[in-house]
Amino acid sequence: MPWHKRLWESGPYGWNQALTRPQVLVPFFVVAATLPPLLQYIENNSAWTGAEFWIRILTTCAMYACLAVSLNLVVGYAGLLNLGFIAFFAIGSYAYALVASDQLHQHLPLWSSLITVIAVTLGFALLVGIPSLRLRGDYLAIVTLAFGLIMRELTIDLDRPPVLAGHQFGPSDFNLTGGTAGIHAVDPLRLPSWMPLIHGAAFQSRTYYWIFLGFLAIIIFCLLRWRGSRVGRAWVAVREDELAARAMGVNTFKYRLLAFCTSAVMAGIVGMIDAAYTHNTFPDNFNVQETVLVFIMVVLGGLGSIPGAIVGATLVTILPFVLQQLVLYKYVVFSLVLIVLMIFRPQGLLGTVSIRPRATMGGTIELLTAESAIAASELPTVTDREAADLESASGAIVAMEPEP
Amino acid sequence: MDYFLQTFPQQLVNGLEAGSLYALIALGYTLVYGILEMLNFAHGDVFMVGGFLAAGVAGLFIHNGVAAVPAALVVTLMVAVAMGGSGLLGVGIERIAYRPLRNANRLAPLITAIGVSLLLESVVQVQISPAPVLVPSNELIPQSVLQVGNVATPFTGATLFVAAILLMVGLDLFVFRTRFGSAMRATAQDREAATFMGIDVDRVIVVTFLIGSALAGVGGVLYGLRFATVDFFMGYLLGIKAFTAAVIGGIGNLRGAVVGGLLLGVLESFGGGFISSQYQDAFAFLALIVVLLVRPQGLFGQPLTDRA
Repeated sequence: MPWHKRLWESGPYGWNQALTRPQVLVPFFVVAATLPPLLQYIENNSAWTGAEFWIRILTTCAMYACLAVSLNLVVGYAGLLNLGFIAFFAIGSYAYALVASDQLHQHLPLWSSLITVIAVTLGFALLVGIPSLRLRGDYLAIVTLAFGLIMRELTIDLDRPPVLAGHQFGPSDFNLTGGTAGIHAVDPLRLPSWMPLIHGAAFQSRTYYWIFLGFLAIIIFCLLRWRGSRVGRAWVAVREDELAARAMGVNTFKYRLLAFCTSAVMAGIVGMIDAAYTHNTFPDNFNVQETVLVFIMVVLGGLGSIPGAIVGATLVTILPFVLQQLVLYKYVVFSLVLIVLMIFRPQGLLGTVSIRPRATMGGTIELLTAESAIAASELPTVTDREAADLESASGAIVAMEPEP
Repeated sequence: MDYFLQTFPQQLVNGLEAGSLYALIALGYTLVYGILEMLNFAHGDVFMVGGFLAAGVAGLFIHNGVAAVPAALVVTLMVAVAMGGSGLLGVGIERIAYRPLRNANRLAPLITAIGVSLLLESVVQVQISPAPVLVPSNELIPQSVLQVGNVATPFTGATLFVAAILLMVGLDLFVFRTRFGSAMRATAQDREAATFMGIDVDRVIVVTFLIGSALAGVGGVLYGLRFATVDFFMGYLLGIKAFTAAVIGGIGNLRGAVVGGLLLGVLESFGGGFISSQYQDAFAFLALIVVLLVRPQGLFGQPLTDRA
């Protein structure tokens, strides 16, 4: 069978595997990284003048791709509905803004601010994750939803000293978050001077495009390394059948918490880069609609698929720019897309999650068949004798079952 | 201490008033959760649509503060339209967005639910009004203040409380005293076994959504009359609080939802009154976290469903 036919036959799971090979990913990142100079070159040599505009859109795409891949870790891999996802992005941006602006008169260098951001987002992730991850998924969804909302209220309210039971905490000129106005004049990322290309580049957005792209490459590398590891397999096991995973000795709470916290920290770092890119951070960063937008990117691309998340992020970011009529109806259209997709093609473009398990077999079976679809073609054919051995083996197992 | 003793009854009344609204919406969450074991995120937005329907009906009959027909008739119409509209909306959501995914992975209906929630919000925002819409409450219901001792409450607030309690009693009677109610309880206990007993489970689910959503619709009317304004985002925070109330009372348990709602309202009112009005909304969230940590099955232990 020719390779393209075999690829087509392998279905979404096979496409996903094929697209996450280094032979595909490395050229993808090289091409993506050369886009800004390419656009600049086209602008310099033609009448077209959209280079800066499109580089900005590409930067937004790269940022959303980072977010979508991080959300995919928690929703796609681990099967946890984190509806406060964007809150961790906002917490990261606020944490960075606080240690790298005049708000608290702190201007920490890059690595210490990165560690601060990681510590703060991790702290909040543990605060939300520990009480809710022991319980069923629905509770996590509502707790994270409430968490995002409360964090938004807190950032709006913390521009003045908190007053509890008539007692004022902190001095009267206490202003932590800047209230509805947010924090402005946030420091740009101060990268070490030995870094090529990035340091002192002429265009702000181009620099940050590369930073987002670099971070995307890092998290994709991590996810691909984790996918086949014990951790990654534990996540999939917990997602597909929690009871079976527990029976196999997987500590479900531990792995859920790990996925939840990792994804939150990733979102926090993206928030930090975004705060440095846009030079400010607002309470609107906590907007829940944004969470749903990132969800749509992930579901559109396919739950559990890294290339899918990138494709979804690019489509959802670029479409409103291409179809200007869409801007007003952005959320209407995309929420409709989300519903229709979930009903008619829940696996999205490249998804690997068995959303609709067969009634009799349960979820794990379908995943296994999808996974073995390509592997099966490489297996040696089973001889009659081996089959007979198998039969007798299974017969022995059946015989071992106690009589009712 | 003096301040505490003087304001305690007032805070209690305020809390019960807010809590009755939470309870009314919590019933919708708990009904659906009890039967389908799914979190209907769109429920808060069904409540919001009910409020907008009521505002629309009121706007039809009242121009510039002059009512064309008796106020009582307008209020009746508002309630009828909001109940009918919200109820049908709830049934429609179930039919289109949840039923095809009933046997799917648990994640799938949750994702469609959040999609439906965003859809309702954004449609109302884009098509009707991004700004709050006024409800001519002045022309519809007496704005007098009831005063007992040093406790005062607006007539609208008292109406809200009484109406909510009456509806909840009615629902309780329906679920625990009628034949259809026992079919609902049977479905909640074990859907498959209920099918074997000849119960039309699909019909039970449709009626459950109808009742829950209609109650949310009435909640929207009462909210509009009480606060004289509705906005596209109002179902969001209220929905989360109502769900918190349902969890506190033990999700799936009807009476628990009522107690949880009233309790949450009072708790919030005390927190806002005695600790910090600035962080009033945070108390509901704190309550949710504490309940999940200490007693995740809620106050009334055994939920309607025993399946874990």
